[in-house]
Amino acid sequence: MLAIETERLTKDYAVGFWRPRPYRALDSLSLQVEPNEVFGFLGPNGAGKTTTLKLLTELIYPTSGRISVLGKPPSHPDVRRRVGYLPEAPYFYDYLSAEELLTYFAGLFGLRGAERSRRVASLLDRVGIAGERRLPLRKFSKGMLQRVGLAQALINEPELVFLDEPMSGLDPIGRRDVRALILELRDRGCTVFFSSHILSDAEALCSRVAIVVGGQMVISGRLSEILAFEVSGWELVMADLQPAALESLGSAVRKVTRISEGRYTVEVTPEAEPERIVGELRSRGGRFVSLNPVRTTLEDYFVQQVTARKATAPAGRAVPEG
Amino acid sequence: MARVICLVAYHVFKESVRDKVLYNLVLFAVLMIGASYLIGQLTAGQDVKIIKDLGLAASSVFGLFIAVFIGVGLVWKEVDRRSVYNLLVKPITRSQFIIGKFLGLALTLLVNIAVMAAALYAVLGLMLWLQPGLAKASIEAPVMDPQLLMAFALLYVQLLVVTSVALFFSTFSGPMLSAAFTFGLYIVGHFNADLANFEAVVESQAAGWLGKALYYILPNLAPFDVKAAVVHGQAVSFSYVALTTGYGLLYAGAMVALAILVFSRRDFK
Amino acid sequence: MEALAARVRKGGDGALTLLAAAALLLGSALALQAYREARHPLPLASSDVLYFRGGAAVSRAALGFDAILADVYWIRAIQHFGGTRRAQESDKTYKLLYPLLDLTTTLDPHFNIAYRFGALFLSEPHPAGPGRADLAVSLLERGLAADPTRWQYAQDAGFVHYWFRQDYKAAAEWYFRASRIDGAPWWLHSMAASTLAEGGDRQSSRQMWRQLYETTEDTWVRNNAQLKLGQLDALDEIDALAAVVQRFAQTRGRPPGDWSELVALRWLTGIPLDPSGTPYELRPDTPGGVALSQKSSLHPLPPQFLKKAGPTT
Repeated sequence: MLAIETERLTKDYAVGFWRPRPYRALDSLSLQVEPNEVFGFLGPNGAGKTTTLKLLTELIYPTSGRISVLGKPPSHPDVRRRVGYLPEAPYFYDYLSAEELLTYFAGLFGLRGAERSRRVASLLDRVGIAGERRLPLRKFSKGMLQRVGLAQALINEPELVFLDEPMSGLDPIGRRDVRALILELRDRGCTVFFSSHILSDAEALCSRVAIVVGGQMVISGRLSEILAFEVSGWELVMADLQPAALESLGSAVRKVTRISEGRYTVEVTPEAEPERIVGELRSRGGRFVSLNPVRTTLEDYFVQQVTARKATAPAGRAVPEG
Repeated sequence: MARVICLVAYHVFKESVRDKVLYNLVLFAVLMIGASYLIGQLTAGQDVKIIKDLGLAASSVFGLFIAVFIGVGLVWKEVDRRSVYNLLVKPITRSQFIIGKFLGLALTLLVNIAVMAAALYAVLGLMLWLQPGLAKASIEAPVMDPQLLMAFALLYVQLLVVTSVALFFSTFSGPMLSAAFTFGLYIVGHFNADLANFEAVVESQAAGWLGKALYYILPNLAPFDVKAAVVHGQAVSFSYVALTTGYGLLYAGAMVALAILVFSRRDFK
Repeated sequence: MEALAARVRKGGDGALTLLAAAALLLGSALALQAYREARHPLPLASSDVLYFRGGAAVSRAALGFDAILADVYWIRAIQHFGGTRRAQESDKTYKLLYPLLDLTTTLDPHFNIAYRFGALFLSEPHPAGPGRADLAVSLLERGLAADPTRWQYAQDAGFVHYWFRQDYKAAAEWYFRASRIDGAPWWLHSMAASTLAEGGDRQSSRQMWRQLYETTEDTWVRNNAQLKLGQLDALDEIDALAAVVQRFAQTRGRPPGDWSELVALRWLTGIPLDPSGTPYELRPDTPGGVALSQKSSLHPLPPQFLKKAGPTT
């Protein structure tokens, strides 16, 4: 049984008050998410990622198409007991504290008494805001709210978790924590479906991804299949070099970029041996800093797809006739 | 299922408390005590009536403001700030949400009205204790008239109707507009009886029918106002209270059902 | 088409159930309300008790909304007057009419029609009104106090004395007073004079009502004036008919049993109708033998103009 399945899912909005024109936020999306995988739902802003998440959680209703979550339609009461949702830039009740909020939500799941307090306490610990548990939420920073959001998404120990931009608002340490959390969830048997426009996160975490642009799915599948992992060149960083030292390096060097005084990035073609260039520049007085392979990243692929789409798409996403 | 509704209701009440809404009671108490002191300068017997009038009128006004200003934000605030997203993905249906919100404000109002009633009785008791002669001078109604409770009870039910209207508007309209509409309906609701007699006073038959139709659809709030009767010592029978309360609760129920209807069909963009 | 289907699916049967529930609840509420209204009249609420017994108190409490409150009380006054008039009970007291008018005019001392109509309402004799011409005059006096340039109030006061109290001297005084106000029309003076001279004369009454009929813009006043003019005409016609009946009685020795007898003699061209179109009745019990039908819309005729006995000259 698939964790999530959609079939030709479409969502139109009527935009404008006096003569509403339909706007197609999501066009015929069909995707499948296997259980116990980390699935990345990627796309630029306005692509329809949040729309999809809201359709999956029944915050909005589809115009057409079919949705199945954990084998049932999203309106089934069973579904709500088994999923968790972290919305984008979450907002909670000002007047409650983090602990009170989690207690409230736990109560909605039917948790009571000692078990409830235990679970609340452990979640607060897990997301790292145990110290601020009694503070009213109006005093929380964006990053702290994000953590609370994660905690409330997990309050019912769900089988499937929807995360909308889970890294937003977090500092590097926070992001590392969230990454660890996601992997931990996967290890525990949970399915994680998250949307993001930060591709390095997806690269690090996901087994499969889908990319949407302009309301339409561009591609979906294993990450390794989408990207060619061959090396497309080398990037060499050297320091203490005189400008003159960078001349006449031969055809192996594709491009030289100055970073700062004496520090340069040298792009080397894939066929060349980068060690030879390193040796050459060292003999010219340079100091070796770093050498990295250049691969087609998800970002390259992404930008390429988005630009291609923008070139062919018409100005507005009108609903097609008929 | 009832648990879920109670949780939502409890949190509405908690929010009111933490937003210091109940501080209005302090203002009320100060007003009553101050007035009772000042009015004590007037002729005996009259001041009891005036204190009762003032107490009931102030309760009405304070209660109305609470019902409207919290009522129009009940749903709107959650939707506008998107805290509703977290809630609706949990095992709670949209109708449970709406009913819970309504009952939460009903609880807040109940506490408010109860305290105001107690305060009024306290002030009256104090006046009686300081001036035992008042008891004889009050020819129309006893000083600590238990019938005042009837007035408060009907006031409470009236406020429930107002709350249900505010809640209904809150499901689709911003606070400014909702407050305007709700206040408007409150005022019209008091002149409802005039609408019923419209056909007797106007010449156009269409206007008469329109008046009659409006009389039925719009909330009829005037019968809840027994303040004058109670203060003048006219007994308000239990069956009157029961029937009027029944009307109020059923009407509020209809509005809540409509609110659920609107709310259930919404997309939360 | 798909969009529509999706919309319907959105709510599904849930929507219909809720709508039905709402309708059912409202229906029950209305049924309960109807039952309550049948069993209990409204308690002593604003319809019977004026929260403020005096205009001055209201004025202070109105907090700047005087004018609109005046309107509200004015509407109440009209409804009270109209409602009581149409009600079925026999002892109509109109007891709130003066207090309501008092409140209205205290809140808005320049409320023109409240004074003028109010005075007319107050003066109307039982059962069409409270029959309190004295209150009407005091209301108009207050209007004059607030606005001494309003000669119409003085004219109205004169009129009230003339028509409703038959106090011709007082009426004439008021007309004189009115005529002396700047801007008053020329005929007020002559009206004063003729009132003094001829008192209960139909001709001067007719003149005054005609004056009112022609100068007012209001339908109610115009209709009322027309009614009164009709009544005066009816009185004249009754006198003329009485003369004919008298002649018949003198020649035949008995009063006519039916109008047809007079028509047969060609003394009348047809069955005589009053200005409202209702036939006059032959009534031997009346002084002239002719009376206005009780079914006529002109009934009852103002008693001060009915002749006591004998034919007219």
